[in-house]
Amino acid sequence: MSNAPPQTNAGHSDQAFVKASQYTFETLAQLYNQSRIDYIVPMPMNARRMEEYILYNDVALDASIVTLNGSGEETGIGMLGLRDRRAWFTRLGVIPERRGHKVGQFITENLIQQARNNDATHGQLEVIEGNEPAFNLFRKLGFEPTRKLLVIRRPPGKAKTSALSDTTGATLLTPDEIRACLTARTDQPSWLDETASLLHAGMLEGLCLGGDWVIYRKTTVQLSAFIFNAPENAPLLIRAVHQRHPMLDTKIENVETHLWAAYQAAGYFEAFARIEMHLSL
Amino acid sequence: MNLIVIIEDNPDSARLASRILQRAGFEVIVGDEGELGMEIVLGSHPSLILVDLGLPDIDGQTVVAMLRQHQHLDPVPIIAFTAWPEHTAHEMAAAYGCDGIIVKPIDTRRFADQIKAFLTPDYRSS
Repeated sequence: MSNAPPQTNAGHSDQAFVKASQYTFETLAQLYNQSRIDYIVPMPMNARRMEEYILYNDVALDASIVTLNGSGEETGIGMLGLRDRRAWFTRLGVIPERRGHKVGQFITENLIQQARNNDATHGQLEVIEGNEPAFNLFRKLGFEPTRKLLVIRRPPGKAKTSALSDTTGATLLTPDEIRACLTARTDQPSWLDETASLLHAGMLEGLCLGGDWVIYRKTTVQLSAFIFNAPENAPLLIRAVHQRHPMLDTKIENVETHLWAAYQAAGYFEAFARIEMHLSL
Repeated sequence: MNLIVIIEDNPDSARLASRILQRAGFEVIVGDEGELGMEIVLGSHPSLILVDLGLPDIDGQTVVAMLRQHQHLDPVPIIAFTAWPEHTAHEMAAAYGCDGIIVKPIDTRRFADQIKAFLTPDYRSS
């Protein structure tokens, strides 16, 4: 960390923050992991995954913060993604042994201020369903819940086939076609699934079947981020993806609940849920 | 001596589990990330693999899925080591091919016996 002076604000005289850009990815990952160690669903990251998360999701490290107590010890972390005039609040956490001093409120209030300083007029975040302290804090600061999003998984395995669900005609989309499809999409993705995030992350593959398409991310170990042009045909398209990649594990974040039945029929189960919340800045 | 491979990123948790298992007569190797853990497993002959479901590089579930694609590991119990809510953990562990779960924080008085139970022929054939 460099020696730039920490900033404080009124009402929190014993607390201060520094820009996250003063820390290495390694330290940011460590701080984040420490803050989430006792979470309902701990999702630790190493330095590489933290760097990817920041790059893929347009997280602005100069607008993201690490908080400090009166002794100069790190107490928590909060990050801000910025796109157009929208701000995404993410990776918020307070280190367990340093909780109880309204650190979470200090982080959130300062991120709201950072968003305004960057001309954002709209804020959004997701909170894990069941994390009542965080949900109540965000409500108190003006965020309103808008929808429930599911995090779902499917272990490797062949998709069931039937005469009524022939996917043999599925063809691969070219990179140009994938880009064109994403440009034309009409769904309301969460921040993680916005076209900017998908294009930054890369490794996209797409299948076309009878005029409908599905685009997804494929790494060497996992499938993720399924996007459909026609949700009513999602069951067939999901099956087509798993018939093509039967040996890959799948984890899809922030699935809208109206698509759940289609995934469930393909062997998915729900890992946990998030509540998306929005705020006018 | 039975070898247990623990794939766990939380150093306190890994240290505690290792100490208890070593005291109970097991040899223990720890990998603190998924990729490293898989390398250790594939380069050794473990009697049992304990996998944290929340790992910093690859999800624990994905690690289990990849290990289960190696047929020579079929007879080796893979146990999910997790702080997830128990009903979710059970469903997920079973779906991914785990032989059981051990919920964190571990019960230090029972932990070694829990591991031994997964190694009995009766358990493996059930």
